[in-house]
Amino acid sequence: MSRLFFREALALAMAEEMERDARVILLGQDIAEHGGSYGETRGLVERFGAARVRNTPVAEEATVGIAAGAAAAGLRPVAFITYFDFLMLGLDPLVNYAAKLRFKSAGQLSAPLVVKTTAGAKGQGPTHAQALESWLMGVPGLTVVAPSTAGDAYGLLKTSIRSEGPVVYIDHKRLFPLGGEVLAGDLVPFGAAAVRREGRHATVVAYSYMSVLALKAAEVLAKEGIEVEVIDLRSLWPIDWGTLESSARRTGHVLLVEEGQTACGVGAELGFRLRELVPDARVARLGALRAPVAASPALESGVIPDASAIADAVRALARHSQHSRRGVTS
Amino acid sequence: MIRRLLIPLQLGEDVEVRVLLWYKVEGDPIADGDALVELETDKAIILVTAKQAGTLRRCFTAAGDWLKVGQVAAWVSDEAGEPLPAERTAPAEELLATFETT
Repeated sequence: MSRLFFREALALAMAEEMERDARVILLGQDIAEHGGSYGETRGLVERFGAARVRNTPVAEEATVGIAAGAAAAGLRPVAFITYFDFLMLGLDPLVNYAAKLRFKSAGQLSAPLVVKTTAGAKGQGPTHAQALESWLMGVPGLTVVAPSTAGDAYGLLKTSIRSEGPVVYIDHKRLFPLGGEVLAGDLVPFGAAAVRREGRHATVVAYSYMSVLALKAAEVLAKEGIEVEVIDLRSLWPIDWGTLESSARRTGHVLLVEEGQTACGVGAELGFRLRELVPDARVARLGALRAPVAASPALESGVIPDASAIADAVRALARHSQHSRRGVTS
Repeated sequence: MIRRLLIPLQLGEDVEVRVLLWYKVEGDPIADGDALVELETDKAIILVTAKQAGTLRRCFTAAGDWLKVGQVAAWVSDEAGEPLPAERTAPAEELLATFETT
């Protein structure tokens, strides 16, 4: 176990997988000599050579398309898309080709491709800071993961590279300044959420950077006597329904937090399914205002949830519970 | 007077740093302009330089350790023998220092 920066955890995962399997190649903008937008590919071109660590032009559709074709032909590419927003340009080869390939070929072909990208807001403004994860969750054949810790980044990226794909692996810009414990060789399976903190009064379900904020909110609420269970989804598809259901049954109150839009968002899917699984649970959602993410820090923080907004939303759920006990419904 | 070397909040909320190298050990005299320690963030190496004289009395971290913004990295006293506070978090004046990206 060692403590690493997020970028170091990613570099370690990729180096180990490239060492293990000669079919693993990396494609992306500035990933070779420059070492990646976040330093996450530093040292890899020197170690594995320019044939396996390939710079691409600013051409996301071509990058994903080439990676999907290379995957179908037998390689295991990791295609880097600097910001999630730019993945829009690569959705056709990802959704129409890579995700469909196994179905269309009756299992004869697959595209073991990882698209590694970075979502979320940290001052980049309306077109470079969106959280669009929910767009991908409804694509059959696609796996979507979004870790919140360096250890999970390492474990999920390794699992993604080894999987039959295609996988979209999503970092968050605000996770890179953080360190975290990384256990060498520790693979994180798809579809397994992590209970980051146990609590009996309410469940907060989050993923990526919102998990960090949910833990901060839980600390504040604990001082008020509200014990919050924090579940970090880690996988957005497949979803760990079992962990969500059992927590919802125990606490009876579930807040679903995301950085993106709530309309047709991650929480919309989770909330509806949880209502089916645990009809008595009270479920609420928290996400961005229906507005683009601003570049100004003051406006940015006004648009997306922060720890105090999460705490407020949990308090509202808890208040409802007190009213219910007195026979008042909200 | 005891002064504390703080990891500056200006690095950003939640930011963590790794201690790479101490240029001084506990008990060393410090002159204005002396390099104290090198820190690593996810983006850069930061050289911390003292901007006043004193004595390095306590290093709370060794090379390889991690600190968060707002944490106390070290205590420096104006006079070599001044008594130290009991708690690392005890309030104290901040050591004048520069944090330069190298």
